[in-house]
Amino acid sequence: MDALVALWDGAFGSSYAFWSATLVRATPLVLVGLAVALAFRAGVLNIGAEGQLIAGAIAATALAQWLGAMPRIVTVTAMALGGMMAGAAWAGIAATLRRRYGVLEVISSLMLNFIALALLSWVVRGPLQEPTGIYPQSSTIAASARWPFLLQGQRLHLGFALGLLLATVSRFWLARTASGFRVRVVGAGARAAASAGGVDVARTTFAVFLVSGACAGLAGASEVGGVTWALYEGISPGYGYTAIAVALLARLDPRWVVVSAVFFGALEAGAAAMQRDAGVPAVIAQVFVALTILGVLAGAHVRDRVRARRIVARPEAA
Amino acid sequence: MYNGLHGYRLSGIARSMLVIHSAVLFGGACASRESASSGENAFRVALLTPGPITDQAWNSSAYQGLERIRDSLGAEISHIQTKTPAEFEENFRQYGAQGYALVIGHGFEFQDAAQRVGPEYPKTMYVTTGGTGVGPNIAALSFAFDEPSYLAGMAAAAVSKTGVLGTIGGTELPPVTASFTAFAAGARAVRPDISVLGAFIGNWDDAGAGKEQALAQIARRADVIFQNADAAGLGVFQAVRESKGVWIIGANADQNGVAPTVTLGSVVIDLPHAFLLVAREVKAGAFSPRIVRLDTSSDVVRWVPNPAVAVLPAATTARIDSTRARFARHQLTLPTGPTP
Repeated sequence: MDALVALWDGAFGSSYAFWSATLVRATPLVLVGLAVALAFRAGVLNIGAEGQLIAGAIAATALAQWLGAMPRIVTVTAMALGGMMAGAAWAGIAATLRRRYGVLEVISSLMLNFIALALLSWVVRGPLQEPTGIYPQSSTIAASARWPFLLQGQRLHLGFALGLLLATVSRFWLARTASGFRVRVVGAGARAAASAGGVDVARTTFAVFLVSGACAGLAGASEVGGVTWALYEGISPGYGYTAIAVALLARLDPRWVVVSAVFFGALEAGAAAMQRDAGVPAVIAQVFVALTILGVLAGAHVRDRVRARRIVARPEAA
Repeated sequence: MYNGLHGYRLSGIARSMLVIHSAVLFGGACASRESASSGENAFRVALLTPGPITDQAWNSSAYQGLERIRDSLGAEISHIQTKTPAEFEENFRQYGAQGYALVIGHGFEFQDAAQRVGPEYPKTMYVTTGGTGVGPNIAALSFAFDEPSYLAGMAAAAVSKTGVLGTIGGTELPPVTASFTAFAAGARAVRPDISVLGAFIGNWDDAGAGKEQALAQIARRADVIFQNADAAGLGVFQAVRESKGVWIIGANADQNGVAPTVTLGSVVIDLPHAFLLVAREVKAGAFSPRIVRLDTSSDVVRWVPNPAVAVLPAATTARIDSTRARFARHQLTLPTGPTP
C-alpha cells in the first residue's frame, strides 16, 4: 500500500510532483512520440528517434555555446531550429538510403542510433568537452540559452508548450490538409496510393521521415535547453525507444500521444517516488511500470475485439 | 483505422492489473522504508546510485555504506537508482524538499546536479563520490584509487607468465583511466618489458560484452586482467573462470569472493568506511564542506590479495608492502594528472 501511495504521490500528489516531475518527464516523450507517430502513419518504421534526438541535443549544445551572449530569444530559437535540423539531417541519412537504395529503415535507423551514441561519446570528450578536459560532458550553457520555465516555481519548460503546439499542428495537418491526407493514404496502402491515387510515395515518405527526425531532434534540444543545461553521455535513457510504446498506445493519434506521454511520465515519476519514499527496489519499480503498460495495451486490445464483435453482430451499429 | 481512443475503458482489465500490481508490490512492501528511528527530527540520509546495487562492486558497496550509516548512526535511509542527469537533479530536489540531512550522489557525474540544487536547499548536505565541486553545502569524496591500482599492477606483473596484462573498463571515465595508468606503471616497475592491453566495454551493465572483451584479450595472450566495469565486469569474471591459467583482479569492492579460485586480489575502496566518516561529521553538525581526500594513509583505499590463492612470491609481497608504506607516508606520489 505504501508503494502505491508513493507512486500516486510521486506523479500527482502535489503541484510540484505534477508540474515538475511528471510533465517534465513527459516532455521529451511527447515530442519523440509525435516523431514516431507521424512516421508510422506514413508507413515509415523510424526506430531511429533515439539517434535523431541525440543529434538534436548535440546541435543545440553547440549552438548554445557558440551564441552564448546573444539575447535569449535568439539563442532559444536557434537551439530549437538547429535541433530540428540536426534531427532531420540524421533521419535524412536513413531516408536517403531508403529512397535511393531501398535499404530498410528499420535496420538503417536503428544502426544510426549506435553511431549517434558513439558520436555523442566523442563530442563530450572532444570538441564540446568542458574546459578543464577532465569530465566527459560539456560545460553548462549560459543563462541566456536556458529555455524559459512556464510556471513560477516549477520546472516545466518551453519544450512542453512546443510539444502541445506540435501535437495540435500535426493533428490538423493529418486530418485537414491535402498533404496530410497523402501521408495517411501512403500509410494505409502505398501501392494503392501510387496506382489509384497518383501519389508520389517515395517523396511523401521521404518528407515524413525528415519531419519525424525534426520532432525527435527538437526533443534533444529541449532536454539540453530546458532540463540538463549541458550535454552528457547519458542524456537520454532511451526516450527514442519508449516513444514507440508511447505512440502505439496512442494509436498514432497526435492528440493521444500527449495523453499517452503524460501517462508514461507519471509512471516514471511515480516509480522514482516508489524507490525513494517506499523503499521499493529499482527492479521491482521497473517491473511495475512494465506491467502497467502491458495491462493498458492488453486492455485496449480487448476493447477492440469486443467492439469488432459487436460490429459483426449488429452491422447497423457500425 | 486509427480512430483514437474515444471511450477508452478498461475497467475489467484495470481491476485484474491491480491484483497483479498488489502481488508485485507485496515484495516491495516488505522492503518498505527501512528506518531505525523515525519522527520529524530523524537523521535522514539518501543515496543515489548510477547503477544497480547488485553489481558486487561500485554500487553495492555504496549501498553497504548506506546501511552502515543506518546501523551505526540510527539514520533513516533511502536509496534510488538513477540513470540520466535529469533524474539526478530531480531526485536531489525531492530529497532536499523532504529535509534529508545528507544526500550522497555516487559518482562524479552527480556534481553538476549538486551545484544546481544545493543552493535551493541549504539545510541538506550534498556529497558526491568523486568530483571537485565544493560549496556551502556541497562536498566531494576523492579517492586515491590509483595508489592501490599501482600495487595491483606490481602483483599482476609478478604472476604473469606471458608478459601480457589486460585492463577492461566500463566507460572511459577519468578515475578509471587514472587507475589503469597507475596499474600499468606498477606493472612496469616490476617488469619493464610487460605489455598492457586496454579496452572499454562502452557501458557498465552489459555482462555479455564484458565477457567478449575479456575473451578477446585472453586470445591475445593476456593472463592477468584488471577489470573495473561493475555489473558488466561480472562477465569478465565469467570469461576468466572458463579460461585456463588466467587471473582476474577485482575493483571497487572486495571481489575476491566472486570467483575465489581465479581472483588474484581486489583493488578496494572501503566505501562504507568513507560514508560513515562523512555521515558522522554531518550528524554532529561538524562537517565542513570540502574535498575529502581519502588515500592509502587512511586505509580507505587498499590492495587486498585473495587469501584463497597463494601465488604471489614472498619477495613481491614484501616489495608491495614497502611501496604501500611509501604511499601511506606520502613519499611516493603518482603523476595521474587531474584525478577527481
